[in-house]
Amino acid sequence: MTEQQIIDLINSSLVEEFELDPASMTPDANIYEDLGLDSLDTVDMVIVLEGAFKFKIREEEEIREIRTLGDIYRFVNGKSRQIKRK
Amino acid sequence: MIYDQVVIGSGISGLVAATILAQYGHRVALVEQAPVLAPVLRGFSRQGIYYDTGFHYSGGLGDGEVLDVLFRYLGIAEKLEKYSFAADRFDTFRDVETQEEFHFPIGREALRDRLCTAFPQEREGIDKYLAMVQQACQAIPYLNLDLEFGQVKPMLGVHGPSLGEVLDQLIGNTALKGLLSMHSLLYGVPPDQVPFFLHASVAGLYYESVHGLKGGGLSLVQAFEQRLDELGVDVFLGQAAQKFSFAANGTLAGVTMADGEVVACRNCVATVHPQVVLDLVPSELLRPVYRRRLENLEETVSALMLYAACETPSQLLQGSNLFLGRLGRPLEGLGGGPLEERPINMAGTAPDDKGPGARGFVAICPAEQDCTARWSGSSLGKRPVEYLRFKEETMERMQCHIERSCPELRGTFKVSAGATPLTIRDFAANPAGGLYGVKHRVGQYNPMARTRVPGLFLAGQAVVAPGVLGGALSGFLTCGQMLGQDQLLERVKACS
Ligand SMILES: Cc1cc2nc3c(=O)[nH]c(=O)nc-3n(C[C@H](O)[C@H](O)[C@H](O)COP(=O)(O)OP(=O)(O)OC[C@H]3O[C@@H](n4cnc5c(N)ncnc54)[C@H](O)[C@@H]3O)c2cc1C
Repeated sequence: MTEQQIIDLINSSLVEEFELDPASMTPDANIYEDLGLDSLDTVDMVIVLEGAFKFKIREEEEIREIRTLGDIYRFVNGKSRQIKRK
Repeated sequence: MIYDQVVIGSGISGLVAATILAQYGHRVALVEQAPVLAPVLRGFSRQGIYYDTGFHYSGGLGDGEVLDVLFRYLGIAEKLEKYSFAADRFDTFRDVETQEEFHFPIGREALRDRLCTAFPQEREGIDKYLAMVQQACQAIPYLNLDLEFGQVKPMLGVHGPSLGEVLDQLIGNTALKGLLSMHSLLYGVPPDQVPFFLHASVAGLYYESVHGLKGGGLSLVQAFEQRLDELGVDVFLGQAAQKFSFAANGTLAGVTMADGEVVACRNCVATVHPQVVLDLVPSELLRPVYRRRLENLEETVSALMLYAACETPSQLLQGSNLFLGRLGRPLEGLGGGPLEERPINMAGTAPDDKGPGARGFVAICPAEQDCTARWSGSSLGKRPVEYLRFKEETMERMQCHIERSCPELRGTFKVSAGATPLTIRDFAANPAGGLYGVKHRVGQYNPMARTRVPGLFLAGQAVVAPGVLGGALSGFLTCGQMLGQDQLLERVKACS
């Protein structure tokens, strides 16, 4: 999967599962302030990403640090590179 | 009248939540669909014998232990008379073919010694297992009141390891693995699925102390009944909550009941099955991903249950439960295979003033919901003849199974009632019919107390853990989120 494909999959999954506006899906969008998620949505964000990419997410600290969509892209990219290396 | 709080569901979690909120001075209404309070806990009587349904024994009730302290805070401890289960065998495992038995004693040291005597080769694994159980219990803030709430990790357990993985790592002997996973019948999730942490939080407390209540679950319900009355909580019985209603500004305005009446309120604690939560909340208020998460939660195993009257009071089952099974055969899937090959868990009736020995017992055999799916369109008291025939045959088979495995009980008891997955479903309006509601399992994210809907909180066995203890703690933790955790914790601890 290319980086762009990863970004597209993240965007389309979040748009669908959280009923977000596709036009607001830019890398610097703050997921809390701009997209309207709150801390309660973190678990569901993890579930959406796990479902879309078929991997388990256990990096609770890293997830808690996520602020922008760009942070999510970087996190998922990092994970899929890790998995490829294994 | 606008209530500060409406609590939906009068199981242990709803009773605890309603009491705490009322003790904080809130105007509280408690709404229950069944015609009586706490249908799961209150049991029933037949021919003068009282049978427990959803409560036989519990850990955490010893003086100063977590449930004891909580009951004191709730003002019900002095209304209850607890008794200890048999110190040398609170639970007995019996192999149905060889009649070999293992007796679980109360106390971690005693258990360690007995396990090591029975499995000397596994000494190291036994020590490690018991240390891990103890560690887990101490790390769970709601079991260890000395920890701070901030240390609560809601998703503890989701990532595993499972009980099965831990046992595979520590222990070679399959008979021992089977014994240590026997208590999975108390939470309805097989060992390869249940988080070790959840297993430890249930079984680990039984290793420390085991109590029942004189007068059974009914005495617990009656203690709460009195307490709710003292506190001025309004109880609505026989009225199912159907839908939440909202004010124009989006805040919670009330709960619409099945008869159309609206109970106006500012906040609500729903202690019902997650599937019922989905019926109550207008779907546009929840994220699709959250809705799907609740819809897809796996359900715990269901059961077939036989209630029997003993002709002479049973010593075997007094203050001691009997688990029938095959040593060394792993407990896979729990409810599958022919009834005769499944495990059975037997518990005697609670002691009363009429002398020693249990005057009756219940036998619980795990079963898939499928076994009664054909009649799922029917309701309590209105079952078709074929269902009644199925139930009768099933009770006969269970009776044979019990008589074969317990020769000392042959000819000494008469079946007085039976229950199937449909009974469990309809008694507690639990749409999926599992013994303990939804599973707590590795890889499954259960709902938390807070929801996206302003003013709506969740509690109950789905949120924290099953059992009277899990449900009670869930009521307490959810109230902590609503009222301020630290202050509530301080108040509870002041009662220890
Ligand atoms: C056979 C059996 C034996 C058990 N033995 C033990 C034991 O020995 N020890 C132990 O600790 N635990 C035991 N348990 C487990 C324990 O009983 C449960 O885990 C616990 O009671 C669950 O409490 P709760 O408050 O979460 O749920 P519930 O008690 O199910 O409470 C939910 C309540 O909500 C009501 N409700 C549902 N829908 C609506 C609606 N729309 N409007 C209003 N009300 C509604 C239901 O009627 C119900 O009363 C046993 C369970 C079973 C089934």
